[in-house]
Amino acid sequence: MSNVAGKAQALNVWTPTRRKGIENRIIFWVLPRFFKKKLRGLQTLSLIHYARWVIIAPKDFPNLGEGQPTEELRHHYECFLSNFNGNWDQYIDSFSMSLGTGLDMLWFKNVGFPNSVPIEPFHAYINANSIPTDHYYSAYPLAASNDVKAAQRVRDSLVTLAGSASGMSPKQFRQAYDDTIRKHQDDISRLDESVIVSLATEAVQNQARQEAF
Amino acid sequence: MTTFEIRSGVDLHDVQGNIIKGYGRYGFPVARYVTYRINAAVAGRTFIKLLVPMLTTSVPWSESGVVEEGTKQPPSTTNVALTYEGLRRLGVPERSLLSFPDEFVMGMRARASILGDVGASAPKNWDPVWQTEDGQQPVHLLVTINAESSDALAQRYEEVGLAARAANDVAGDSAGVQQLAGHRSAGGADAAFQDGAALRDEHGTPGPKEHFGYTDGISDPYYKDSGSRSSNVIGGGKRLRDSSPATDAGWAPLATGELLLGHTDEALEYPAAPVPSTLSKNGTYLVYRKLHQNVATFDRYAASEAAKLSMEENLFRAKLVGRWPNGAPLASFPTEAEANAFNAKLEQAKADRFDETATPTQRAAATERHLELKEQQSGFDYREDIAGESCPVGAHSRRANPRGSLEFGQDHAFSTPGALVNRRRIARRGLPYGDSSDRSVDNGDHGIIFMAIGASINRQFEFVQQQWMNFGNDFRLGNDQDALLASWPDEDIDPLRARMTFEVDPDGMEVPKICTGIPQFVETRGGDYFFVPSLTALSAIARGAVDPT
Amino acid sequence: MVGAGGGGRLPKSSKHYGLTALCPIKLGTAPGRNSSYEAVVRETLAGLDSHERSPMARVPNTYLARLYILKDVFYEGRSQQEHLKSQYLFFGSDFHGELEPYLRGMWENIEPEVRLIWQHCVAFGSSVNSAESFVDYIKKCQVSNTFLFNGSNDRPLAEQLKGLYLKQEFGDFVASHQGASDDELRSAFLSFAERVQVTKLDGPTWRPGAQTLESARTHS
Repeated sequence: MSNVAGKAQALNVWTPTRRKGIENRIIFWVLPRFFKKKLRGLQTLSLIHYARWVIIAPKDFPNLGEGQPTEELRHHYECFLSNFNGNWDQYIDSFSMSLGTGLDMLWFKNVGFPNSVPIEPFHAYINANSIPTDHYYSAYPLAASNDVKAAQRVRDSLVTLAGSASGMSPKQFRQAYDDTIRKHQDDISRLDESVIVSLATEAVQNQARQEAF
Repeated sequence: MTTFEIRSGVDLHDVQGNIIKGYGRYGFPVARYVTYRINAAVAGRTFIKLLVPMLTTSVPWSESGVVEEGTKQPPSTTNVALTYEGLRRLGVPERSLLSFPDEFVMGMRARASILGDVGASAPKNWDPVWQTEDGQQPVHLLVTINAESSDALAQRYEEVGLAARAANDVAGDSAGVQQLAGHRSAGGADAAFQDGAALRDEHGTPGPKEHFGYTDGISDPYYKDSGSRSSNVIGGGKRLRDSSPATDAGWAPLATGELLLGHTDEALEYPAAPVPSTLSKNGTYLVYRKLHQNVATFDRYAASEAAKLSMEENLFRAKLVGRWPNGAPLASFPTEAEANAFNAKLEQAKADRFDETATPTQRAAATERHLELKEQQSGFDYREDIAGESCPVGAHSRRANPRGSLEFGQDHAFSTPGALVNRRRIARRGLPYGDSSDRSVDNGDHGIIFMAIGASINRQFEFVQQQWMNFGNDFRLGNDQDALLASWPDEDIDPLRARMTFEVDPDGMEVPKICTGIPQFVETRGGDYFFVPSLTALSAIARGAVDPT
Repeated sequence: MVGAGGGGRLPKSSKHYGLTALCPIKLGTAPGRNSSYEAVVRETLAGLDSHERSPMARVPNTYLARLYILKDVFYEGRSQQEHLKSQYLFFGSDFHGELEPYLRGMWENIEPEVRLIWQHCVAFGSSVNSAESFVDYIKKCQVSNTFLFNGSNDRPLAEQLKGLYLKQEFGDFVASHQGASDDELRSAFLSFAERVQVTKLDGPTWRPGAQTLESARTHS
């Protein structure tokens, strides 16, 4: 059981909505179409690889027959999934303080949602409604979202540089090379294992290592 | 004209003085840090009872000593702080103890892998006083004394010692409160206390330099109702949008609750605090860290790496920390000539301000000039330097306080430019220790007693240390670490791993420079997490009257 | 808000797909075991290897994936309390490409693990015996996303991993060739380009799921 895969942490939050989540559906429909600016904070914060919100009506719970009972729920539930960088307990302040009202829209009027500021009640709400991940996998535990994006920029430029290098004079090459590293001066920082996410995660990892021997 | 806001939202009589005042700046160039073990609760409580009347509070000092304007500045100051184990041994009830945050309960040693205290900085290499045989925190109580002179320091130290002996007499236990020796010093590893002292210039005048030659402690956070000069909000407060960082309209005071428990913080709530509120209100946490500085390695690396990268050595040194050795920020003064010209003006204004042959009018004008220039030292941000062409993105002072630059030029991405910074500020206290006049060796006795104060050790100090010093993702710098503070698990670290980039103008003609093979300059030599109770709380602890029911 | 493949993609032009599936777990006691089917599924998930040895590392184009058990819904104390009648195995995956080829790739590469993980889910044993029937099964369990956020990019995984490899190698190259002459630099770069094979995606590159640099490089 671990929510941690290197630099990525999984979060699974299930919360009941009010009025069948109709307002939430509207917000999620409107947000990317008319309020792109609201999402710019999330892009600038750049702590998320991928995230999603899924509003699930009682009838949406799959029923595959073979005697499976039909769910009888009154609420529509909002299920939030994210893959983000850092420790949620450590970074909750960063999310709350930078996105504030934006976060409030994402859980708009969910039952019991206390708003994202003040932070302590928000933190307690998310923790109380979170489900630990049994198996979590990242294709790149050594990379944060920032790193994946920087890597793509470097690769795109290198394809060009490497494609033309052999046909250039040393002087021409120098100029193209200098342009490349100037453009990517902070895209080429070193990658390595994450700093520890928490002492508990570190202990789990150490125990797993011992088991392996 | 300084106005003191005694009747503000904070009862400054109740708040210990080291929380609000950077004593070094008030003409207290020497300090002594005295560590105690509490073996008998009665002795410990009596010791605190005797210390309370000796403690320095946060009430502003005025020369007249008129109470309405503040109290008279004493020749020495005294403050006290307690570890978790200290509180437990003093008889604070379990319910209160369990209401303290995890990191405080665990103590600094147990947090080593969060703080990057590995390799040479690992706890097993700390001073003997911080070593533990039973797994409990060895130091229970810390007395910090700052003084205007060595004599005043010695006298106050003597008085504190008398109080400890008197407490032991009352308890009938000669080791009830036990002063713990074991601080490494020039004389060996068993000093009875840790001394600190401002470094002196060639005239013997104490100044703001630390052992690597930088000017330290220029920007201190500015909190609402802290009684400090209102112009300190420039560079010390939280960055606002749409006004110049050079003016006080560009900044607002940080919420008091970022510094003090029992007051609202930047998240519009009271910070999590132990119960009952009489125990926590007006108290805060103090991180004490003894950091040894490898001066020979630093000098050698600065000279050789600057040469390798074809840079002036002073510029190289400035790029590592984001300030010129004289304190001028790179963001405002990108060239050494500008920095020197600025510093000359600053020094002149300072000299004029304290020139006893000048008329009061002249001195008043010089004071005005001096304060304005000091504002320029801290009144800046990185909005015009997002790429880091003047001050590298990974420079030490920029990592410690990104000043609203984490919007990366995306104006209005966040509700306020300081959104990612305002919850991570720490008040820096402490002084250098030892003598580094022999620059040829690393193993002399020289370093800094780093003290960080704030309402949450985990959210503020530990976050800054782990995410901003020992990691680079928030700055989009991968795993790059702070060049000054990086510590490594072993010595044969890949030289290409220990590196830092000096960025250039992305639209210019220069190329970025990357320093590599950065050795470990600083080694942790000990310390712990302390609670700094209010005077009210100390009295309750001394009476054995803390009751969370 | 419904994108291609039953709402796994938003906007439709994106190549990033977010699969959300809730697979009902059989009720009752697992045969021959002193525990529920749900407990057996949880044991199975706990026994999976992680990182580069996770079965998901062998599923082409998987960026990030997770499995957890939804035991019940939470009660917020302000309305009538309610409970789920089944427990669900939650499968979430963020990947590059289309749903059907992705699921076929999953079946083709980790069929034994898929059978192991899903064996106690309702209708799995009776209906799944091929890539196509696995695709059908998961599509029956899929729920539509309401809002999908991409804070990264939607390139094929091989490009992302090659990018990370190149970022690291090129950074080291730049740091260790400062001060080289134009001639030296160009020839050093040509050998570098020869070694790292900028356009070749299948190697040298980083290994999917590698959690240490050492392990990442063993693929290169």
